[in-house]
Amino acid sequence: MRKRRILLVDDEASITRALAMYLTENGDCEVCVENKGSRALAAARSFKPDLIFLDIVMPDADGGALAAEIQIDPVLKGTPIVFLTALVSRRETGGATMTIGGYPFLAKPVHPETVLASIAEHARERV
Amino acid sequence: VAIFGLQRLTAATTAGLLAAQSVPIRAVSLSFVAMAAAVTASVLWPEALIDQEILAGGLALIPALLLAHYRGWPLVAVLLGVGLVALVIMHLSPLFFGVALRGPFLLLFVVAPYISIALGAGWFGEVRRYQAELRATQLQLIQSEKLDSVGRMAAGVAHEVKNPLMMILTGIKVLEKRVPASDGQTLLLLRDMEDAVERADRIVGGLLNYSRDRDLDLAAADVNETIERAVMLVKHDLENAHITLVSKPSPGLPKLLLDEFKMQQVFVNLVTNAIHAVEREGEISITTSLEKLTRTALLAYRKANPYAAGDRVVVIRIEDSGPGIPEEHLAKVFDPFFTTKPTGRGTGLGLSVSQQIVEMHGGTVDIANRDTGGARVTITLKVDREVAAS
Repeated sequence: MRKRRILLVDDEASITRALAMYLTENGDCEVCVENKGSRALAAARSFKPDLIFLDIVMPDADGGALAAEIQIDPVLKGTPIVFLTALVSRRETGGATMTIGGYPFLAKPVHPETVLASIAEHARERV
Repeated sequence: VAIFGLQRLTAATTAGLLAAQSVPIRAVSLSFVAMAAAVTASVLWPEALIDQEILAGGLALIPALLLAHYRGWPLVAVLLGVGLVALVIMHLSPLFFGVALRGPFLLLFVVAPYISIALGAGWFGEVRRYQAELRATQLQLIQSEKLDSVGRMAAGVAHEVKNPLMMILTGIKVLEKRVPASDGQTLLLLRDMEDAVERADRIVGGLLNYSRDRDLDLAAADVNETIERAVMLVKHDLENAHITLVSKPSPGLPKLLLDEFKMQQVFVNLVTNAIHAVEREGEISITTSLEKLTRTALLAYRKANPYAAGDRVVVIRIEDSGPGIPEEHLAKVFDPFFTTKPTGRGTGLGLSVSQQIVEMHGGTVDIANRDTGGARVTITLKVDREVAAS
């Protein structure tokens, strides 16, 4: 089984850098990072991820709209998406993942272990 | 002579009525000046007695008419108008009918001005009450505007703070995995850092909840039990500070529709404040009682309140033996972020949140200094009839 391909889309470069480091070192993942929401679609098309972690509020793009574009894209259709957001608190999510617009989401600050668990749960299996 | 006797009697009765209605002294003075003018005129010009009475009656009807107008009592206004017309007709009767309508009507003319004066004085009282209500509503609007700003700010702060917290937390976790298990000190440092992140996240989460939590999960509850559960949560703090808690729950209180969890939070906040005020070795007392609001008791509520005289209310009083609240702080204690506690001990949201929760329940919370020293917080909650019956 090859490594899972994870795309992290968040305008906060420090978050994606640290998370990429953690996932690469502690999970069986190949991580691609994109800090520009407007370039996320192109990055996803070329990387072909098994799971996308998508920030909702970004200065140059809306996570919700991006998710909709990904779902109608002929190449990316069906790619699992998990939102990462600072808009809700962890208490509100009850610690577990819930959904926004049908997509699961994780409330920031999220433990990287939870991100790993989310990958195990949602990422597409590839043999 | 009989008329003047009657005038004195009605004047005395009116004065008594006015005093009982706690009419402002200015209104009473004006009424008595008008009455004195009418009586003096009658004495000086006895032949013009009827004219003076009609004048006094007519003029005194004006505030009564205004009262009826402002209160939206069209029927009373019409009746008063008819009275005024009748007065004029009777005054002019000798001209048209050649007969002066005196005798029993004279009594009416003597009594009418005083009834009108009483009503008019009542109008002054009404105006004063409306002004007080308006002022209180304005204050509440300012307060709710403050809360809204806090809400908006909280959402902004939450977003801006949560991202860096996430970065720090992830960084800690990366380092934790890299540090060899033998390096206990570094691992401890990283764990402390993680705890600090958790704490900051809790505070931001609290701010978010403060701005959002507007829904109540209501169920019939016993206030005494809710207080007891809240006290259990702060028992440790009470013991640590050697503070005696005197609980005087009134037996047989009717059940109230409460969000128990939120009300528990209110009592925890208030008792915690009391503990911080007392500091060490003092006393905090919690008393509950079922009361029927009298007119005088209503006047004690400084703010616009949702009660009427005769309402049954459950009153909870939390008193402490601390130093009390400086007069200049009393008006600010419910402001969000107002605190006199040292940094790290309070966010200044406790009383503000408590007030918000109690008001969501349709109740009021007031804070004052006791005559014997220390502060007293009074929570008043209206007894809901349906719950009381169940």
